[in-house]
Amino acid sequence: MTEQEYLMGNEAMGRGAIEAGAKVVAGYPGTPASEVLEYISKYPDVHAEWCINEKVALEICMGASLCHTRSLAVMKHNGTNVALDFLMHLNYTGVRGGLVLISGDDPGGISSQNEEDSRIITRLDAHLPVFDPWCPQEAKDMVKAAFELSEETELCFVMRPVARVCHGRSMVRMEDIKEAKEPHFEDDRSRFIMSAVKEVKAGGILRPVVRHRWLNEKQSVLAKIMEDSPFNHIEDGEGKTGLVACGIGYAFVKEAEKILGKKFPVLKLGTLPLPKNKVLQFARKMDRLVVYEDSEAVVEGILKQLFYDEGVKVEVVGRSGFLPSEGELSATIVLKSLATLYPELEKKVPKTAPLGMKVPIRTRTQCVGCQYRGLLHALKLTAHKYKGVVTGDIGCYDAGSFPPLELQSTIYCMGSSIPMASGIAHSGYGRPVFAIIGDSTFFHNGVLGLLNAIHSGVDMVAIVCDNRTTAMTGFQPHPGSEVDVHGEPVLAIDVARLATAAGATSAQVVNPYDIPQVKEALEKAVKEKGVSVIVATMPCYLVARRTGKLGFTPRKVVLDLDRCNGCKICVTYFGCPAIHFSEGKAAIDYGTCVECGMCVEVCKRGAITWS
Amino acid sequence: MELNILIAGVGGQGNLFASSILAEYLLKKGYKVFAVETIGAAQRGGSVVSHLRISDADIYSPLIPAGKVNILMGFETIEMLRNFELLAGDGMYLLNDYKEPTVLCNMEMDTYPTDGEIRAALKKSGKKGYTIKATECARQIGGSLLTNVVMVGALCQVSPLFDGREVQQVLAGKSPAKVREQNLKAFDAGGLLIQEAMRKA
Repeated sequence: MTEQEYLMGNEAMGRGAIEAGAKVVAGYPGTPASEVLEYISKYPDVHAEWCINEKVALEICMGASLCHTRSLAVMKHNGTNVALDFLMHLNYTGVRGGLVLISGDDPGGISSQNEEDSRIITRLDAHLPVFDPWCPQEAKDMVKAAFELSEETELCFVMRPVARVCHGRSMVRMEDIKEAKEPHFEDDRSRFIMSAVKEVKAGGILRPVVRHRWLNEKQSVLAKIMEDSPFNHIEDGEGKTGLVACGIGYAFVKEAEKILGKKFPVLKLGTLPLPKNKVLQFARKMDRLVVYEDSEAVVEGILKQLFYDEGVKVEVVGRSGFLPSEGELSATIVLKSLATLYPELEKKVPKTAPLGMKVPIRTRTQCVGCQYRGLLHALKLTAHKYKGVVTGDIGCYDAGSFPPLELQSTIYCMGSSIPMASGIAHSGYGRPVFAIIGDSTFFHNGVLGLLNAIHSGVDMVAIVCDNRTTAMTGFQPHPGSEVDVHGEPVLAIDVARLATAAGATSAQVVNPYDIPQVKEALEKAVKEKGVSVIVATMPCYLVARRTGKLGFTPRKVVLDLDRCNGCKICVTYFGCPAIHFSEGKAAIDYGTCVECGMCVEVCKRGAITWS
Repeated sequence: MELNILIAGVGGQGNLFASSILAEYLLKKGYKVFAVETIGAAQRGGSVVSHLRISDADIYSPLIPAGKVNILMGFETIEMLRNFELLAGDGMYLLNDYKEPTVLCNMEMDTYPTDGEIRAALKKSGKKGYTIKATECARQIGGSLLTNVVMVGALCQVSPLFDGREVQQVLAGKSPAKVREQNLKAFDAGGLLIQEAMRKA
């Protein structure tokens, strides 16, 4: 097979895993990596599973690897943090069937809460080999190579594509699918029992030390592999300043060369560990190296250490100060940096002229018709009434923290809302605390915080936004969903029953479109001792619109301008994009309105009524 | 030959579909195509930007470098203005005269620029371009969701790289049966709108 297809980087990586014969693929959705698993789920003979969280996904993959089955774990950088505990043992035991971990990074934090560089935990911390692709084709080639090398070295290989590689679309070569090995299992307790026992064979040394030594000894094997890797190469060019182009950095360096019409000496790097001899061969001819990498100065630091050890006199600059230390790399950053080194090139840098006009900032908000707008409205009213604090979590409903609602006071990472609310309660602050968390996030990590809160005897209200899907990342199923990734029916876990079984004081199930019902539930919950759980259940509006099973009966609303006194409760406590203010009075945009009618309940003056 | 098209709009405007129609046509024509879009958290009523890079030589950066955008398609007015600085000196814009106010504008806590301000800024920029009422036209045909197709129809009239009839064939092939007819109608309407705008200019 030699045909080509126009694929997104994530799809290309998924195809790479398929061609490599991967049979178990597990992950948790997260931008920029979600489409890898979605692509793979179209292949019926591969087990593809959206898991409860990333740690579970990686553990599933290791189970498959133990049976010599190739497996792929897919997550975003935040998820790799969640999986890190397991990863820090998996690195010591090694793998059997090839195991590849895709950790999608988001430099610039375009769809994330931070812009972490997962090369640090996977390479510098876990000492695993890492591939950093520059384009979709290379990403696919790297996945295939990673599976082969993973089996050859018995190490888990990490793919660290950045968002622009994950989401980039270009032609990708399709190749034949490799036959998978027959699964088999044999015990090897000295390897797969990670425990502090003395190893007789190693002269009574404790097993963690023996396995750590094993991992360290693997580094020389990896060094040799990377030396010959097709993912690293040297390009000759003019001058004594060498450009070290890591991962996506290569795309921007080559773009800059094209724009400037100049060929620089380039060291293209796609692997960690680095190809030491190639690096030294390149560096010895240079006075200065500029390292272009996303987003921390990882390769820059490794190079400085290497040159110190080898006594190579070459200046190394990069993201530790010469280039911006935060944010996403770009061709513009590369161009500007080259223009400072070669002032004569300045005139070739494309000119841009600001429009000279203030453009309003657009913040994200709930969709028009989203049931959570009703829930957020009721929660804001109740929280203000009792001067309470609301902690937030990751998901669509986090938009309640932005203007105009500005409801949640905190948003960190998956599941932190309930423990943080517990901490606020335990501090003795003395005001009611509310945690608001989505269903997928609840299962991911929130459930542990809930169990802890119940057990600790704290007084708080936990609100679970149950829309039966992971809406934020594109409607992936989770343990509360009634279908799996293939749309096949599965057992859905009921949040209210779970909370009741755990000993929550109450577990009220409400319809988030029904604002009076939500308010009543909140009033009851805020007065209770212990942990009161409210489950706001209703399928995501966007899904319901598609399936024709809306959570409301659409009906036109009308506005009576004489009754509107311009109090703005419909924007500051509700914020529907179909309502705007004009000359101090509300107005409805019927082109945008989906007739959910929640605003009828919101307006206290009766200015909005059913037609 | 290199052409860089940037499509700026808001979530739900079918930015990606427009980009994929153009990409499929260009790939058939034997060009190299490299595209990327900002997706994810941006999709809930936020800004969405698609970069579409076309060349007969290798393309490296998926993102169009600042100052290298040849055609800036604005599916929404301020989203186009937000990206205006990326336009090349001789680049052109193609604006859909459609305004989706921001939440803060809705609250009268921020101001959406007026038509007069927008016209003046565009004029001052010295960039050539056309403004058409694509969303209004889409609504007349069958709904605002057709805006992207109207804009693609218009683009095919301003860039010699696109053969309108062939692009329309690609569109027909990629359209689900129940919206195919409306899509084809919207495509033609876009072509007529831009021809009218070009005559007036």
